[in-house]
Amino acid sequence: MTWRIASQLALSGLSVGSIYAIVALSLAIPFKASRVLNFAQGELVTLGAYIALVLTSYGLPYAVMVPATLLIAAASGLLIERLVVRPIIGAPEFTLVIATFALGLIIRALIRIHWQDNVFFLPAPYAGPALAVGPLRVNPSYLVIIASTGILTALLVLFFQRTKLGKAMRAVSFDPTAARMMGIRVNTVFGSAWALSAAIGALAGLLLAPVIGINPELGHLIIKALIAAVIGGFGSLGGAIFGGLLLGVLETYTGALFGAALKEIIPFAILIAILLVRPQGLWGATPARV
Amino acid sequence: MRAHRIIIVIVAAFAVAVPILGSSYQIYLVELILINIVAAIGLNLLTGNCGQISLCHASLMAIGAYTTALLTTRFAITYALALPAGVFVTTLLGASLGYPARRLSGLYLALVTLGFLEVVSIAIEEFSDLTGGVRGLKLEKPELAGFPLHTAGLYYFVLAVAIIAIRAGLGLRHSRYGRAFDAVRQSVIVAQALAIPPGRTKLLAFSIAAAFAGLAGGLFTAVVGFIDPTEFDISASLRQITFIAVGGLGSVWGSVIGSVILTLLPEALRGADEYSDVLYGAILLAALVLAPTGIVGLFAPVFRRLGGGKAQLS
Amino acid sequence: MSLLAVNDVSVSFGGVVAVNGVTMRIEANEIRGLIGPNGAGKSSLINAITGMIRPDSGTIVFADRPIAALPPDLISARGIGRTFQHVELFRDETVLDNVLTGLYSHHVYGVVAAMIGAGRARRVEKETRREAAELLEAFDLTTLAAAPVRDLPFGIQKRVDLARALAVRPQMLLLDEPISGMSEAEADAAVATIRALAAERAITLLVVEHNMRVMMRLATRITVMHHGAILAEGTPDDVHSNPLVVDAYLGNADDNA
Repeated sequence: MTWRIASQLALSGLSVGSIYAIVALSLAIPFKASRVLNFAQGELVTLGAYIALVLTSYGLPYAVMVPATLLIAAASGLLIERLVVRPIIGAPEFTLVIATFALGLIIRALIRIHWQDNVFFLPAPYAGPALAVGPLRVNPSYLVIIASTGILTALLVLFFQRTKLGKAMRAVSFDPTAARMMGIRVNTVFGSAWALSAAIGALAGLLLAPVIGINPELGHLIIKALIAAVIGGFGSLGGAIFGGLLLGVLETYTGALFGAALKEIIPFAILIAILLVRPQGLWGATPARV
Repeated sequence: MRAHRIIIVIVAAFAVAVPILGSSYQIYLVELILINIVAAIGLNLLTGNCGQISLCHASLMAIGAYTTALLTTRFAITYALALPAGVFVTTLLGASLGYPARRLSGLYLALVTLGFLEVVSIAIEEFSDLTGGVRGLKLEKPELAGFPLHTAGLYYFVLAVAIIAIRAGLGLRHSRYGRAFDAVRQSVIVAQALAIPPGRTKLLAFSIAAAFAGLAGGLFTAVVGFIDPTEFDISASLRQITFIAVGGLGSVWGSVIGSVILTLLPEALRGADEYSDVLYGAILLAALVLAPTGIVGLFAPVFRRLGGGKAQLS
Repeated sequence: MSLLAVNDVSVSFGGVVAVNGVTMRIEANEIRGLIGPNGAGKSSLINAITGMIRPDSGTIVFADRPIAALPPDLISARGIGRTFQHVELFRDETVLDNVLTGLYSHHVYGVVAAMIGAGRARRVEKETRREAAELLEAFDLTTLAAAPVRDLPFGIQKRVDLARALAVRPQMLLLDEPISGMSEAEADAAVATIRALAAERAITLLVVEHNMRVMMRLATRITVMHHGAILAEGTPDDVHSNPLVVDAYLGNADDNA
């Protein structure tokens, strides 16, 4: 394997991994805030992509369409939190998981009704033929994806460290009762967490769309995102990103070196290995003793 | 008690009459319900009673199905032996999940079972020479002791197995093991204080669930005559979870009711075509929000008043 | 030979020493009280005895066999039972079911027997229910057998907790704050019940309690802990008049009593 091929693979791995990372982030945020694992998160990614499709078909220029998509997605997240999550927040963990699964089913089915299983392509201004960067040939979409992940991470760090809402979210995820006593409107924080996570999911959808096309099954990558979150540790946002990138790179190299079958297995092998050896992942909090 | 008994008699009479009065499609449908009942009872003992989340129940069913199918088609072993062999293999593999269950719970355990599910899926696709891969495996109707099982015969066989499964489920539920399961679910610390070994109990729960799943899978091969990996994916597992969530967690009759309703529901919704998934999801969501203790939980007070005495529906 | 011998046991968490080289002997048929202010190390010591945590050093010997490295369920099987401060009953189950669960280890039959409803399983189940009925009778809970526990008053729940703990047929029973949350009348009744119980069933008791007044009447010997070590040990009168104890603890305890 030459340096050139290795670098190409690394790039492609990082870009796949960035998508995993972004979706893993969008899973981690409501989990940290309200301890609900949103099994419909994959569908929120898909929804984001379709929202973008609709807005683009109305003739919206890309620069306007992107923030509009994110806002609409955020609103959907808020709606979901209020209508689906809030009423059942007291129910056992189990019921919440199934409820979000049911929600995902509904979203996917609704999308199917309108657009069937057709694959649509989203034109993006940066998509185009591979650029030459030194000896490497680089797909510009990959660069945009990786760069977006970096920017998103930086923005989130600022958000959580510097803004009032961000600090409130951290407080709530640490100890909701204490946060309430400090005067933080916990319900508002929950809603915001879900809105934020839906927007981030939509971002993933926006970035994915030009690369692999829009179809109802986009949400399937939630499973990879879950694995990424496990690698990094469920409580850790940085872990989610690292986990996603690592997973993407490992997958890509495995596929190139050992073939497609092993490429499919490796994420789950890693998942099981981590859960058996160090379930809290690299940076997560140790799970309570069973 | 009385009303309870009467309902059972009516249902039993109905069940027996199906192959006589029903169309072959209706017979097939009831057979699917019975298979789902068997799988659901196992899952409910594991999740509803013992509190262990499992996302891989469908893949355990797959292991039972493929084992039974391969033994009958490739190795010409009679179904009467292939079926129990399938159960045996599935039980062994399912028991392996007891190991991670010792130290993990909730989300983490769910993820391990998810990993197990995906690995089994990939394995089925990869070993396509053996399993037919994504194209699936076509099977002939089974023979029992040399006699081919035609429609009615197969139906009564499946019915008999389902009844045995219900009996076994009830027997376990009301035994010391059922109590140990419930104890481990509610508090491992208290269970330990009562000399109940949590690790071994979880192992038992996983093994039993696997046995029921393997049995359901073996029956599936006989009834459907064709198996492929998409039948046993994450959606299938989640569907089985909905059976027990809607029917009633921890209740054998809940497994029965949930299986009946949620197997019939997609059929009933078939007319709605593309809206059927939406309606299914919506009904499921509504059921979870409105009846978090399941249908059995909703009707428990009714039964208490009718029957008197029984504090819990089994 | 002491029934329970705790030998130089130490437990620490993340740098904090909770139990510091504690040695304690409990003889059969004692009613041993364990008192000490919050943070004295009582819970950690109890957890070490019941197997919830493993001591960093030292040994624990029960009925002549070492138990410090055993998992909690095995220690329970060896004969150490316990009740819980906050009454950890199975809330959605009935009184009877709670007690039946306690009998798990004493009426055994196989899984397959259970599934097929074999004669053996049915017979053993009957015996289990008979013993459960006896326990309910002993605690005046027979009429409440089918009642879900969550609706019962706290005092009655404590009785159920005790009945369930006894179902394990312990040689030594650990009572964790058995009197907390009770009115004075209830407390007096409870003390009488507990003493009678210990005597009738020849059970050794280790009682953790804040209420000094109750402790004086209940215990035959008292161990006082402070800052992870044993401050004093002796008969209730000895301990009550021990100046060290008065200094460190009794001044505060009477406020809590």
